[in-house]
Amino acid sequence: VIEHLRKMMLIRAFEQVLIALAPGSFQLLSAGEEAVAVGIAAGLRPGDQLLTSGRSIGPALACGLDPKRVMAECIGKVDGYCKGQGGRGHLSYPTGGLFGAHAVVAGNLTVAAGVALALQARHRGALAVCIFGDGACGSGALHETMNIAALWRLPLVLVCNNNRYSISTRSEDALAAEHPADLARVFGIRSQLVDGMDVRAVTAACASAFAAARDGEPAFVECQSYRFNSHSTSSRESRPADEVARWRERCPIEALKRTLASEGILGHDELARLEAEIRAEVDAAAEFARRSANPDPAASLYDVG
Amino acid sequence: MSADQPTAPAAGTKVFFREAIIRALREEMTRDEWVVLIGQDVAEFGGPYRETQGLVEQFGRTRVRDTPVAEAVQVGIAVGAAAAGLRPVVFITYMDFLTLGLDPLVNYAAKIRYKTGGQLRAPLVVKTTAGAKGQGVAHSQSLESWLMTVPGLRIAAPSTPDDAYGLLKTAIRCDGPVVFIDHKRLFPTAGFVPAGEHLIGFGEARVRRPGTDLTIVTYSYQCLVAQRAAEELVRFGISCEVIDLRTLYPLDEQTVVASARRTGHVLVLEEGQEVCGVGAELAFRIREALPAVRIKRVGARRLPISSSPILESYCIPDAARVVETARALVSGTET
Repeated sequence: VIEHLRKMMLIRAFEQVLIALAPGSFQLLSAGEEAVAVGIAAGLRPGDQLLTSGRSIGPALACGLDPKRVMAECIGKVDGYCKGQGGRGHLSYPTGGLFGAHAVVAGNLTVAAGVALALQARHRGALAVCIFGDGACGSGALHETMNIAALWRLPLVLVCNNNRYSISTRSEDALAAEHPADLARVFGIRSQLVDGMDVRAVTAACASAFAAARDGEPAFVECQSYRFNSHSTSSRESRPADEVARWRERCPIEALKRTLASEGILGHDELARLEAEIRAEVDAAAEFARRSANPDPAASLYDVG
Repeated sequence: MSADQPTAPAAGTKVFFREAIIRALREEMTRDEWVVLIGQDVAEFGGPYRETQGLVEQFGRTRVRDTPVAEAVQVGIAVGAAAAGLRPVVFITYMDFLTLGLDPLVNYAAKIRYKTGGQLRAPLVVKTTAGAKGQGVAHSQSLESWLMTVPGLRIAAPSTPDDAYGLLKTAIRCDGPVVFIDHKRLFPTAGFVPAGEHLIGFGEARVRRPGTDLTIVTYSYQCLVAQRAAEELVRFGISCEVIDLRTLYPLDEQTVVASARRTGHVLVLEEGQEVCGVGAELAFRIREALPAVRIKRVGARRLPISSSPILESYCIPDAARVVETARALVSGTET
């Protein structure tokens, strides 16, 4: 559980350093949603593949990708996992279990079903997990994906990170169903609704969902979360200030710190040491990314098609 | 071919277009266990054009999969499976409906190699059927020129059974996404396919008919129209060379330009729209290489393709329009 805390703190600190390193860059941040990414990653095994939306920094670091190379990718440098060609919206490192982010809303869902199909054929017991937002739930791609996943018994887990808004549009104004999790049931897909601010709850829900999917029973998990920042580094904040403040009170990192302290698992000194380690790690990542070369346009021609 | 496959073409004989496709699929599925077929009615039914007949019986339902009528997930699942280690051929019955699956094809498959810095590829074939044959505004279109604008896509559009066979095999072995376009009016056609296994490389056009006065550059079913027109043009003393592009990307500019240099006149012909069409691209490339060559284009008129036979044939190029345009081009009289 200390490892969960460490990863969540790493994600938060990483993003703060990224913004400072590249103030004008376009990023979608995961602050507030760290427990969802970390809880999902906790259930992944070698050979599994995670696909995610363009809000990818949390999932990438939760998967254990090297913060140095993630940072380089986020600012388009050649030492990034995708040689700087993909950026944060398309972070990918299949060798490390992150099949990839895809920045088209709902665009990774059908692809994830395909990854699950290939795993079913070639790597029995492995599974594909796809993270998407509440904003993807009105899309036909989700419904088509659930239908075929159920029909073909794909080893696929769909995790809706319901952060309540797609940019400015409230989930209740974009989806007729009360909860995204309700959508899965009609396809006979088991679904769970969990508190996405509680990493232990997410971890537990994913553990049972993943076990079922490995046996060919696709599953759906809805994590109710909240993003602490506006949609992107360039979008206007439209949510009520008191609502944002209320959710910030429920910060998943602070909540876990309190729990671990009260359980006697995490002492004050240990926490200070953890914070210092993470600070050093993200600073080193920023320095690595800053020093990394810009990509060579001529070399990029090689990767077309 | 064993005797329990009644639809298999006897090798080295004249076969129908669909039989050449079946042969290519069967050979590639035999050669590579990860080749899978995904589409509507491709299993026991044997494909909308009977172009997968006998394959589910041979390879089973895990490799020949019927899907719901849901092109977005059909293409998406094929794209994801391709990126993760299979070699899917996904069947889109009408090219018009490829519009529903363009997101995974254009935004994912065509980009995956680039956006992952070469970590992933998407070796899939989207096999689809273009062309007008009496089915109206949403079942008749030839949208290939849209696809030519997407970096990362390869496009094959054969006109003969042998080319369909050889190009489909190449497409299945290709490490990136290929859109393989056949045509409703080609399915009833037959042609000779040599016995031995053979592949046809991409970017290699074929001269269907040699000529000295005019070059017609085209592909797919319009090759047949062009050859009919060329026959007719003999009566007017015009010797026509007909070039079948066979693939639209990569595009065999060299063969086209070499022919244009000899004839001095080029007519580009396609069944899709003229505006921003295959012909527009070709004409520009020819003009850049040979500024003095005279060029005209013939394509669909700018209106939807009706199911009324009269209105359909008004919209789509036919031999008469090609002949008329060719005569004006060669004689120098603008129409």
